[in-house]
Amino acid sequence: MPVAGAFKDGARRVRGAPMVLAGLFAVMLLVGLPLSYVLRGMLAAHLGNSLAADSAAAGTNYEWWLEFTTQAAGIGKTFVPSIVGFGAVLDNLQGIADNLPLASAIVGVTATWLIVWSFLSGGVIDRLARSRRTRSHGFFAACGMHFWRMLRLGILACAAYGFLFRYVHGWIFSSAIGRLTRDVAVERTAFAWRAAGYLLFAALLLGCNLVFDYARVRLVVEDRRSAIGALFASWRFVRRHAAAVVGLYALNAIAFLLLIGVYALVAPRTPGGGLSTAVALAIGEAYIIARLFLKLLFYASETALFQGALAHAAYTAAPAVVWPDSPAAESIANADGSPAS
Amino acid sequence: MFARSAVVIAALMLGGTAVHAQQPLPAPSGAPRPSEAPVSGRSPRNASYAINVRLDPGSRTLSGDELLTWRNTSRATATTLQFHLYYNAWRNSRSTWMRGRIRTDPPIAARPEADWAWIDVTSLRVIQRGTLPADIISQARYKAPDDGNADDRTVMEVPLGRAVGPGETVNVQIAWSARVPRAFARTGTIGDYYFVAQWFPKIGVFEDTGWNTHQFHATTEFFADFGTYDVRLTVPKGWVVGATGVERERRDEPDGTTTTHHYVQDDVHDFAWATSPHFIEGHATFADAGLPAVDIRLLLQPEHAGQADRHFDAARAALKNYGRWFGAYPYGHLTIVDSAWQSGSSGMEYPTLITAGSRWLTPAGDDTPEGVVIHETGHQFWYGLVATNEFEHAWMDEGINTYSAAMVTERAGAPAYYTKRYFGGFIPWVFRNALLSRIVEGDRLPTYRRDANGDPAATPTWRAFPATAGGISYAKTALWMHTLERMVGWPVQQRILSTYFVRWEFRHPKPDDFFAVVNEVTGRDFTWFFDQVYRGSGVFDYAIYDLRSEPNVARGYFGEGASRRFVNAEGRATDYVTTVVARRLGDGTFPIAVRVVFENKEEMRWEWDGRDRARTFQVVKPSRASFAQVDPDRVLVLDVNSTNNSASLKPRTGAAATKWSLTWLVWLQDHLLTYGFFV
Repeated sequence: MPVAGAFKDGARRVRGAPMVLAGLFAVMLLVGLPLSYVLRGMLAAHLGNSLAADSAAAGTNYEWWLEFTTQAAGIGKTFVPSIVGFGAVLDNLQGIADNLPLASAIVGVTATWLIVWSFLSGGVIDRLARSRRTRSHGFFAACGMHFWRMLRLGILACAAYGFLFRYVHGWIFSSAIGRLTRDVAVERTAFAWRAAGYLLFAALLLGCNLVFDYARVRLVVEDRRSAIGALFASWRFVRRHAAAVVGLYALNAIAFLLLIGVYALVAPRTPGGGLSTAVALAIGEAYIIARLFLKLLFYASETALFQGALAHAAYTAAPAVVWPDSPAAESIANADGSPAS
Repeated sequence: MFARSAVVIAALMLGGTAVHAQQPLPAPSGAPRPSEAPVSGRSPRNASYAINVRLDPGSRTLSGDELLTWRNTSRATATTLQFHLYYNAWRNSRSTWMRGRIRTDPPIAARPEADWAWIDVTSLRVIQRGTLPADIISQARYKAPDDGNADDRTVMEVPLGRAVGPGETVNVQIAWSARVPRAFARTGTIGDYYFVAQWFPKIGVFEDTGWNTHQFHATTEFFADFGTYDVRLTVPKGWVVGATGVERERRDEPDGTTTTHHYVQDDVHDFAWATSPHFIEGHATFADAGLPAVDIRLLLQPEHAGQADRHFDAARAALKNYGRWFGAYPYGHLTIVDSAWQSGSSGMEYPTLITAGSRWLTPAGDDTPEGVVIHETGHQFWYGLVATNEFEHAWMDEGINTYSAAMVTERAGAPAYYTKRYFGGFIPWVFRNALLSRIVEGDRLPTYRRDANGDPAATPTWRAFPATAGGISYAKTALWMHTLERMVGWPVQQRILSTYFVRWEFRHPKPDDFFAVVNEVTGRDFTWFFDQVYRGSGVFDYAIYDLRSEPNVARGYFGEGASRRFVNAEGRATDYVTTVVARRLGDGTFPIAVRVVFENKEEMRWEWDGRDRARTFQVVKPSRASFAQVDPDRVLVLDVNSTNNSASLKPRTGAAATKWSLTWLVWLQDHLLTYGFFV
C-alpha cells in the first residue's frame, strides 16, 4: 500500500471513530481537570480578594504572576509565564529535546497518563484496525486483553528510551557538542552544532519510536502474546518496508509540524476576561483535540500500512471479543443441579 | 618595546621630580583634600601609567612593562606599595576567587589546563633621582588582607625602603608577563577574540588608614585611583583594537606581523581593551543640547551586524538621560565592544569602554541588547566618574546604576516583554502578554524578593554571602532608591543625584557621603530610612488584612430606664460603617497611607506611621466601600508582596483563578500529549 494511501486510509479510520477521539479527550480532561482545580484553589488563595485579581482576570498581571511563583509549591511551581499560548508547546517540546527534568509535582500525573494510555491503546488500535464499531464493551475488552502485553512492551520501551535519554542524549549534547563548541565564539555556529545534535538524537528517538509503534500494532493486529516477539516482528517489518514506514512517519510528522505551525499563529497570547477567555480556551482545546487526532492518525495509518502489507488487507487475527457472561449466567451454566451446601 | 620606558626612566633619574614633598592640609568633609585636588585636568591623577604590552596569540601571553607614577593623596605615610595581580585569581583552585566561586560552581575547578592564567612580575624598580634603580622584586610578598589565604596571589606588597609622605610622588618601573585566561569571569579569550581587563599590575588605593587593596573575590571587582593611561598595545597586524581612551597613533612594527596601537586617556581609573580580527566597526555621534558630543565607536561581532542601531540608540538614551539628570559625560568618546559568544566578557564596564552582550536572534520586544548597553553606559557615571569602592560598597555603583538604568529604559519608551529562550537557549520567544515594568524588570523586584534576607548592604560586599550579594547590591538598592524617589518626588531626587554626582565625580565617595547629600538636599533626616535599607535587612510587607462595609445599625438593648428596649436594627441603615484593618507583616517600618474608595467614588485616606503590627481604621459614610489599599500610591516599592496591599468587596478572584487554571490546563494537556509520544 502506498504511503499516501495508508495516510489517507488512516485519516478515514480516525474520522470513522469519533467516539474514540471524544473518549480520549474526555479521559484527558478527567486526568487534567482535578489538578487544574487544585491549581485554581492555589491561585485564588494567593489572589485573595485583592485588586490584583481584577487585573489578572482582565489580562496578564505579570507582577502578581512572579510573586505567585516565588511562593508556590507543588503544581503551583509549574504555573509559569511561559505556559501561555504557543509557549506551552515550546516548553513541552524543549522538555524532551533538552531532556529537562520533570517538575516533581507532575511526575505522578504524567506517569498516570502513560499507564492509562497504555491501557487504552490496545482498544484504540483494535478499533482502528477493525475499522468498524466495536462498541464500548468490545473496546474495553480489547483494552483489558492487551493491557498486560502493552505494559510489558512499555517496560521495554522505557528501557530503550531511558538508555537514549540517560546515555545517548548526554553523550551527544554534553560530551560531543560540548567539546565541539567549547571554543566556538560564534553563536550561529554553536547553534548549528546543536541543531545537528537534535537531528541525530531525533533520528535515534524517532527510529526507536517507530519500531515500538509497529510492535504495538502487531501486538494487537496479530494477537501476539509476547511483547519481545512483537518487538522483533516489528523490527523485521520496519526493515523490510523501510521506505514506506519512514515515508509514512515523515508524513505524520509533517502533519504534526503543520498543526503546531498553525497553532503558533492562532494561539491566544493574552487571554482577556469574559468571552475572550472562552475563545482562548476553545482555541486551546481545539488544538488539543487536533493533537489527539494526529496521535490516532499515527496509529491508524501505521496499522493501515501494516495490514496492507499482509496477505489479506484489514486482517486482524484476534476474534471479535465477546463479553463474558454475567456471573449469574455463568453460575447457572456451571450448576450441576446439586443443592448448595 | 621597552625603549620608551627606558627614556622616561632616564629622564626621571637625571632631572625629573621623582619625589615631591607637599604639605597636607585638613579638609572639610565633602571637599577634596589638597593632595587629592587635580594637578591638571579634573581628577587627582595620582596613579598614572605608561604601559607597553605585546599580545602573542600563539602562546596567549602578554608581555608588558609599565611606568607607574603614584602620588600619595592620603594623610598617612606609605612605606610599601601594594598591587593587584588579578590574573592570579585563576592560577590555581586555591586562590580566594576560586574558593569563593567553587562554593556555587564546583565544576569550575575541573576546567582544562589551557584555561588557567597567571601574572608574574619579573622586575620592579623604584626610580629615584641620581641613583640607578635597583630591582626589588625579590622583596615582594603576597598579601591576603581579607581572608589570610596564604595561597592567594592577587595582592602583592613591596617595601619601598623609604617613606613616601602625603603629597609625595614615587615612580616605579614594573616588568611583567601574563597568560590570558579562557575567561573564568569578565576577562579572557576565546578563539581570536580577546577581552583584556584587570590585566596589569595595578596599584591599590592608599587611604588615611593605609592600603585599601582587597584580594580578588568572586563577587567584587575593582577600586582604583584616577590617573592618565598612556598605553601601547602591540597585536597581530590586521586585528581591530578597542580600548579605553582614544587612539593617538597606529604603527606597523618592523617585524611585519604586528601593529602597535597607542591609546591615551586622562582622568580614568582603569584601562581595558579588546582585540579581534573579526570586529565590524561602526561609528555614531551622540549630540544633545547642553551636553558635550560623544563619538560612539561600536565593535560588533559579524553575526550581530544588523544590530548596530539598537546598540547606538541604547547608548544615546543613556548618555542623554544620565547627562541631563546627573551631569555631563566628559570624555567625548565611548567604545562599545560586542563580546564574542561564550567569551564570558559580556556586560562589563570600564572607563570609556563597555562590553555589550547580544544574541544572534534577538527579536523586537526582547530587551537584548538594549538593557545591557544602557546599564553599562550608565556605569560610566556610577563607577567611572563617581568612583566608589566596589570591593566594599558594590551597591553604590551597581545599585544606583540599576535604579538609574531602569528609569532610562522606562523613559526610552520601547516596550520590552518577557522573553524565554528555548532549545539550548538559542531560540527566543517573546511573550507579548507579559510587559516588563520598571519595578519588576528594571529594579529587579523578584530578585530582591528572593534575596531579601541577605546581608545588610552595609556589610562589605566582598564578604557578603555570595548567593545573595548581587540581589542586595543591585535589586535592593534600586528598589530603595525608587522608594526614596517616590517619597521626595523626582525633581528632588534628581537634585540629590546631580549634587552627589557633581560633588563626587573623579573621587571616591563612601556611603555616608551619599546619605549626607540626601539629607542636605531634602532638608530632612533620612537616617531612619537608611538604618533599615542600608544597615538592616528587615523586609517590608504591608497588607490589608480585613475590609468590611456594613449598614450602620446595631442590635441589642437601647435606651435608659423604662424606655430601654431590644432593637434588632438601631441606626441609619442607609449609612455604612467601613472598617479597614491594615497589618505590617515584615520587620521593616515605613510611614504609609491607607485608602478606601467607596461605591459612590468618594475616597478616604489615612496616614499611618506604619510602626504597629496592625492598625484599624473606621469611617461611616453614606456609601458602601468598594475597595481598600495600603500604600495606594505605591511609594514603598520595596514591599515584597504587593498582592496583599489591597482588598476588594467585589473581587474577581474566581474569574481570574478560573481563567488561569484553565489556561494552565491546556499546557498540561499539551504536556501529556507530548510525553504521550512514548506510548
